[in-house]
Amino acid sequence: MAQKTRVYVCCSSIRRSGVSTTARLLTDYFICSDRTPAGFDIDPSEPDYGVRFPQCVTIVDASKVQGQMEMFDRLLAPDEIPKIVDVQHRFYDEFFETIDQIGFVDEADRAMVQPIVVFHADATNVSLDASLALIRRWPKLCLVVATNHGAAPLGGRATDVLSEFPTSQYFNIGALDSVTRTCFEAADFSLTDFLRTPPLEMSFVTHMALRVWTKAIFNQFRLFEIGAAMEGARYL
Amino acid sequence: MARRPTERNSLARPAQASVVDHQMNETPREATHKMKPAVILVGADKGGVGKTTVARLLADYLVGKNVPTRAFDTETPRGTLKRFHGDMTEVVDIASTADQMKILDTLNTAQVKVSLIDARAGSFAVSLRALRDIGFLDAVREGQFTFILFHVLGSSIASLDEISETAPFVTDAHYFLVKNHVNDTTFFEWDPATYSSYFSKTRSAGEVTIPKLNEMAYEQVDIAGSPFSAFIANKTGDGRPAVHSFVLRGYVRTWQRKVNEEFDRIDLLDLITGASGNT
Repeated sequence: MAQKTRVYVCCSSIRRSGVSTTARLLTDYFICSDRTPAGFDIDPSEPDYGVRFPQCVTIVDASKVQGQMEMFDRLLAPDEIPKIVDVQHRFYDEFFETIDQIGFVDEADRAMVQPIVVFHADATNVSLDASLALIRRWPKLCLVVATNHGAAPLGGRATDVLSEFPTSQYFNIGALDSVTRTCFEAADFSLTDFLRTPPLEMSFVTHMALRVWTKAIFNQFRLFEIGAAMEGARYL
Repeated sequence: MARRPTERNSLARPAQASVVDHQMNETPREATHKMKPAVILVGADKGGVGKTTVARLLADYLVGKNVPTRAFDTETPRGTLKRFHGDMTEVVDIASTADQMKILDTLNTAQVKVSLIDARAGSFAVSLRALRDIGFLDAVREGQFTFILFHVLGSSIASLDEISETAPFVTDAHYFLVKNHVNDTTFFEWDPATYSSYFSKTRSAGEVTIPKLNEMAYEQVDIAGSPFSAFIANKTGDGRPAVHSFVLRGYVRTWQRKVNEEFDRIDLLDLITGASGNT
């Protein structure tokens, strides 16, 4: 049976919650699994995600119909190529309004495409309310709550906070120490290149910190994929 | 062509089917078999206000509700409605007796009980006068036919004048004023007091609002030359698979749903089938 084509919408209703980091990590994960994804960066004025992956990420202006056609028509192609969209907080409302206007979720269902909203949480009610609003609008939407412990730590109440979100699926993005984070955030740093051919000049400590951090995250992505595939299995 | 002697008689003849309530368990198709013939006229004297768009939306709505419908396009010799709904539309000259006969003499005999007329720009008043002169409006008053009028308004005060000119013809019709925003019309020019004074000149005028549709989406449907519903279903006008953008189809789908909600809100199907107590 053909697998559903998955569209990962990395988004947040609040600023600085690690959305682009997750989009980057997912993209690196798929490239490292020999499944180059198709990514979309909808920030044409300050594209960070798009600039890092010029070979597979398209920068579009989703506020214009032309840009919407370029992105959404591609997202609905049932070609089994994973898709990733980086939706920064300032584009959040407009993005989901467009999704609603064009009936994307229903059409995706018909086209064997599964939208997965990777919703970035923080400890405020703003993000909780936004996630609840999404589920109210699309009750069957696949929602994964991502917590980036470096960008938006939940603190000691993490378990309580997360339990209020309308999902049981989570991605935990650990915090990097400042030196490793600086290395990861450098404009010319590629996680894929680092994993494939670790640079000799890199500090052993940074090297190991990045590897351990990446492995923990990639394992979650893999487990999520296995879980999603099992859900679609006919006899299980 | 000589006027057939049966022309007026056919209008005066009692309707073959009585008005029936639109029972809950009846489909619109079943209900239309028993109902009296209905004429839906879409018009405006001003050009460019979107009459044909409204007629196309009505055609799609009725077909979507499984109501057998035939349409007449008075934009001779080439009709725009005909281009989009070629299978159900005939181009006619409403001022010609022969074409009046074609429409009205067959109201009682045609299997299809709903006739949709798209009156071309400038022919709205002419059409209404013609319908009065041949006795159709009298027949409506006597309950032989259902008459529903969609008067598409422009944003200028001239449209308000049209309302008062139309008033004498619509006393027995279900009369709806249509504010069409599809081409981004804003009705800001209308002073509310002036508007109400014109509005009060007509009895039972309802209002229908057609929301704006994204320009590119509208343009693409226009280029495709297919009904809105076919465009949404990614098909050409003759039912073959098409390759329309999903985004544009999505915009059209949402827009058409809102328009259909407007038609539902005014109980259009009940008006047609007579379930709401016809005039």
